[in-house]
Amino acid sequence: MNCPMEDRHSETLVAYAAGELDRETAAAIERHLSVCPACRSMAAEQAALWNTLDIWEAPPVSSDFDRRLYGRIRNEARLSWWERLSRPFRPMPLRQALPLAATTCLLVIASFLVRQPDQLTPSRPRREVVRADQVERTLDDLELLRQFGTANQAETPHADTM
Amino acid sequence: MVLAVASVAAVAGKPAVASDQPAAPQSRNPIDRWNQMSPEERERELAKLPPERARQIRERIRRFNQLPPWEKQALRERYQKFAQLSPERQEIVRQRMRDFRQLPPSRRQLVRREIEHLRWLPEPQRGARMNSEEFRSRFSPRERQIVRDITEYLPDQLK
Repeated sequence: MNCPMEDRHSETLVAYAAGELDRETAAAIERHLSVCPACRSMAAEQAALWNTLDIWEAPPVSSDFDRRLYGRIRNEARLSWWERLSRPFRPMPLRQALPLAATTCLLVIASFLVRQPDQLTPSRPRREVVRADQVERTLDDLELLRQFGTANQAETPHADTM
Repeated sequence: MVLAVASVAAVAGKPAVASDQPAAPQSRNPIDRWNQMSPEERERELAKLPPERARQIRERIRRFNQLPPWEKQALRERYQKFAQLSPERQEIVRQRMRDFRQLPPSRRQLVRREIEHLRWLPEPQRGARMNSEEFRSRFSPRERQIVRDITEYLPDQLK
């Protein structure tokens, strides 16, 4: 199979770690993981993430949760159409605004990482674009330099052609 | 939500498969950098040139890539030293190497041996030899210029 990391199909590895793949695809992924360190590392990270979620326990719900929820639903039903329309324009209480702001920040950071992974990962060597004419000049120089390579090279026919 | 963000960040921060990345600093010449570009990037750059010129570059790159590893490495090191010269000196060396290429094979061999011999001499003796009557009588002015400039600017070329 093709390398999911090379083909930019890392979602396949995410689905594998989540156990969402069919048996055949999962087996193919496992065979690939045995030979590809990059995918192996990615799959391990995903597996660690799922393990962390598995052991996470939700905090207990307060005893009067149901009473307050039904109270809110009743109040909602009593609101006039004008109050419902104007509600989005009212200032949001801090308790509700904070999680929303935090989520927005996380999304902005994530989208920034997706767009500019090269700049944010110092260990990743940058792939530079070289112009074709620059390559041509270097080939010319290498050809000239090559004729001083070995004792008999310059006398060999076509040895200096590259 | 946090899980989704963490997953996206993990994918984004993941290094590309690193097998084709250069390890040594001397591999950073334009040819090696070209070889590290994706095929699409290379074709995009070549498409900016006339087709025949692009074809020749492809063919020359292919020939360079087919050289034995030891020869490629030697060329990389030679090119690195050459690239460290000032642009003016690089131009002088280029001209002398073109002159050298135009010599008849028998003269090329003589000039090459002379450069090799001079490289091993200490500086004062090297100067004395290049000013000697024997040197003048053995080589034409053009050949003497090749020997002088290559010995001066690229003393390690025949290592």
